Amino acid sequence: MRFLIHLLVMIVVALGVGFGLSYFALTDGRLFGALRVGPWAAWPDVGAPDPNPYTSAFLSRTGALQLGASEGVEFIASHDSEGRTLDRACQYTLAGTTPVATFWTLQALDGDGTNIASPGSPLEMHSARIVRAEDGSLRIGVGTALAPYNWLEITGTGSFVLALTLYDTSVFSSVGSTVQTLPSITRGQC
Amino acid sequence: MARTLIWIIAGAVLGAIIHLSVILALPALATRDVWSKVTALNATDAVAVLPEVKAGQPNPLRLDPGLAYAVCQVDLRKGPGVVSGVLPQGFWSLAVYNRAGAVIYSTTNRDGIGQTLDLGIFNAAQTRMLAEQQLDIAEGLLIVESAADDVFAVIRLAIPHPVMRPRFEAALKDIVCSNIE
Repeated sequence: MRFLIHLLVMIVVALGVGFGLSYFALTDGRLFGALRVGPWAAWPDVGAPDPNPYTSAFLSRTGALQLGASEGVEFIASHDSEGRTLDRACQYTLAGTTPVATFWTLQALDGDGTNIASPGSPLEMHSARIVRAEDGSLRIGVGTALAPYNWLEITGTGSFVLALTLYDTSVFSSVGSTVQTLPSITRGQC
Repeated sequence: MARTLIWIIAGAVLGAIIHLSVILALPALATRDVWSKVTALNATDAVAVLPEVKAGQPNPLRLDPGLAYAVCQVDLRKGPGVVSGVLPQGFWSLAVYNRAGAVIYSTTNRDGIGQTLDLGIFNAAQTRMLAEQQLDIAEGLLIVESAADDVFAVIRLAIPHPVMRPRFEAALKDIVCSNIE
């Protein structure tokens, strides 16, 4: 009897660790493979000809058209700068600067990658179509309630993620800008 | 108590083995990977312009709404692949993917190739023939070598303003994608 309980415990631990770790590693890559800057995460070798095993598994799991290394890089944020999950019931402010890129886009997506912009409003923020402060820094409000400066209006309830895609960027070339210059995500009123 | 701990540690070790197996086996087991999605578009030897992303609708390929996309699949067993056309003024980029969805080559038009796109995709044998000058190709062709025969190319075109989308998508439709006979 004791042996059976031990065996059962072992199997439960094995399955929990095995599949739990795999799911966790491939969902937002917080453990392996991904580059994390504040709340943002990216898979640096997702656009490389020979990705590492974690990135290969991530590629198969998402089945998305990833950007090539010289085309750009996509950063995903599912939490704010303090580590709380992004919730559509709250207002968020993105502030700071972005690394050098020809242009960038910012989208709000749900867990399946569906765009959650409010009907009739733009689907994404575009670097060429925002107002900036005098020093060139940006301030973008994301939420269901009106925000000053730039407002990415979203709809629905539940959690969401932000996708910041930098096109034609020098982020990983170690020349000029560094990846440390991604904007912060601050939670406002809920 | 110590006995239980040993069983738990054994479980954790087994879990680590399961984890590594899952990670390594996933690419081979995935059925909804990017290759099957692209095959479903029927874009062999012709470009398919992907439908525009709309809010609230599924977006399995995770496309960016600010861009227009053209996809074409090439089978290098039938000869080297060629992707050519003239694109509108603005930012565009090109990526060549293998069956696993990994990018084997990518570039943007900032690299000095301007508005004209002229790309040749060759497998290892065809590259050798190219080096031996047994293949006649147009001058200025951008040459990409692929290790495998199943590849697809994606052209991304940035849309400066939503009203310009139809014109930009029409330009993408005119891209030639086929095998060099």
